[in-house]
Amino acid sequence: MAGVWIFSERYEQLLELLNAGRRLARSMGTKLSAMSQLDPEKAATLFSHGADAVLVLPPLSENPSLDAFIPVIVAEVRKEDPDVFLLSATLRGRELAARIAARLNTGLCGNCIALEIDRDDGALRMERLVYGGAGLQAVTCSSRPAMASIPPGTFEPAPADGEGKGVVRTLPAPPPSAVQIIERKTKTSRGTDIAEARVVIGVGRGFEKEEDLHLAGELAEALGGEIGCTRPISAELHWLPEEVCIGLSGLQVKPDLYVGLGISGQIQHATGIRSSKWICAVNKDENAPIFAVADFGIVGDLYDVIPKLIAALKN
Amino acid sequence: MPEMIACFKWVIDEAYIRRGPEGELDLSSVNYKISEYDRNAIEEAVRLREAHGGSVIPVTVAAPEAAKGVKDALSRGGDRAFFIADEAFHDLEPSQTAAVLAEVIRSRIPHDLILCGEGSGDLYAQQVGPRLAEHLEIPCISFVQKLSIEQGRLIAERKVEEGLEVVAAPLPALVTVLPDINVPRIPGVKDTLAAAKKPFVTVKRDELSGKYEAHLATLLVRATQMERQCERFGTQPEDVARFLESLRKKGAIGQKGG
Ligand SMILES: Cc1cc2nc3c(=O)[nH]c(=O)nc-3n(C[C@H](O)[C@H](O)[C@H](O)COP(=O)(O)OP(=O)(O)OC[C@H]3O[C@@H](n4cnc5c(N)ncnc54)[C@H](O)[C@@H]3O)c2cc1C
Ligand SMILES: Nc1ncnc2c1ncn2[C@@H]1O[C@H](COP(=O)(O)O)[C@@H](O)[C@H]1O
Repeated sequence: MAGVWIFSERYEQLLELLNAGRRLARSMGTKLSAMSQLDPEKAATLFSHGADAVLVLPPLSENPSLDAFIPVIVAEVRKEDPDVFLLSATLRGRELAARIAARLNTGLCGNCIALEIDRDDGALRMERLVYGGAGLQAVTCSSRPAMASIPPGTFEPAPADGEGKGVVRTLPAPPPSAVQIIERKTKTSRGTDIAEARVVIGVGRGFEKEEDLHLAGELAEALGGEIGCTRPISAELHWLPEEVCIGLSGLQVKPDLYVGLGISGQIQHATGIRSSKWICAVNKDENAPIFAVADFGIVGDLYDVIPKLIAALKN
Repeated sequence: MPEMIACFKWVIDEAYIRRGPEGELDLSSVNYKISEYDRNAIEEAVRLREAHGGSVIPVTVAAPEAAKGVKDALSRGGDRAFFIADEAFHDLEPSQTAAVLAEVIRSRIPHDLILCGEGSGDLYAQQVGPRLAEHLEIPCISFVQKLSIEQGRLIAERKVEEGLEVVAAPLPALVTVLPDINVPRIPGVKDTLAAAKKPFVTVKRDELSGKYEAHLATLLVRATQMERQCERFGTQPEDVARFLESLRKKGAIGQKGG
């Protein structure tokens, strides 16, 4: 049947992939199929966002580890032979994409940030970051289907503008996964959206203790910004939630103003702030790499500089 | 007593990468290192050995120059290592690396648990671990931040979008670990000396039977540009005022603060 296929276990990401997939399907002159774990009613709303066909994975009551569906998805792909298969690079999605690609014996562009059909040869050109973000690599895939996993937020959600009709097909339920979920701990999201913020204050390991973060908070308030951080701050120290980690393994931000405080500016972080209009930094080490990627830097101790900045802003 | 394999990659230290005059990547004066998160994988295997006995076997697929990396992995606590080395293994894509690892592990290395990093420092494809698990047909648990073996089963805490899942899986299994799982020890002189005496097996390309063809063709690799103004300021009140004035002039902040 060929076509472009998308998969995500999350509705929001399905909409993003519908947007990416729609463009590809148009330039290839083919159909767009969405695969998801939604209930069929919700899944039917995907037609109005651009899906031509919708495939639904049935709910698993016993042991809902998503990887149980790998054989079902692989069987369906083998049967229908899509040209392109895009998955959302959520944490689950990245594992799923790699495992599906292995079973299908095909290539996968992991964490793909741009893709397009080449006008001359019709090949799918996919881009991704390498070397922590220092390099950009473009690849094509010589086997079928060409697969890519796409980080959440890379594309805008597809708007609802189609006629919204089609057939929802439910796929068979698989046997449970060998990986058994014995407990789930959900976190409460703070709901700040630093990906859309106009001013972002970045917090790094230059802060000595968690209590000191109030300094960043006050500066954020004075500048009307939101707080983000480096990976060690969220993943190792747990001072701030994972959703505000900026960089290769976190978010890409694109504010008018980014201010990095006590951040060394290693490439994996710097790559996440690249789209900022103006970049500032406060670091006491004049050789910190952050200064090479900043427009305006203050070489100094953040404990000395931040109060001065706040005072000057209040004047 | 669990036999544990820690898969590690010998990668370019990205801090040494420069942008060349034509926007190309300048790799002329780079150093190499064990990929950051693979140190966590090795450390976790060593930690489990301390609790349960067994052995830790670091394995890498690399060009012959990576022999230094094998010594490094052994100095971090590996008992013996497998060095799958060939000139042809310079620039493998994740599907090839996983297939090569699978052949060697299946035919030569007994294993109860395979540990990989969450992603490699150079490609960060996050594929080799899950692909390897598929080739070996064993359970895969990704993005693990806490791990234990209880009554012959693996208990792992994995990170998912909504928070955490505590999962159980039978052995053998494969996990990919997050950097939060432990703090890797830094090998001392004694460890380095001990590593020099530890055994490792070198496996060559012609000892393998697979074809290992690539699926992806690289069209281009270029440096990501970051041209910035790079102005520096001091910390005196007048410096701070000038700094803010520059931001105002650019319209980055309003006349009154934000
Ligand atoms: C595969 C991979 C993916 C990664 N992904 C990410 C990612 O998405 N995001 C991310 O952030 N990191 C990521 N990292 C980690 C990254 O490489 C760095 O380790 C991290 O960004 C460093 O965080 P930091 O700047 O807070 O800490 P450090 O590197 O420790 O820097 C602290 C800085 O604070 C300065 N400082 C100390 N005290 C003061 C003071 N009183 N006043 C002013 N300055 C002070 C120091 O001079 C230093 O420059 C990744 C790494 C790998 C290998
Ligand atoms: N050449 C290699 N040799 C051994 N293990 C590897 C190799 N490449 C990747 N790995 C393992 O797979 C993980 C993920 O790599 P990647 O898929 O490249 O992001 C790494 O953290 C390593 O544990």
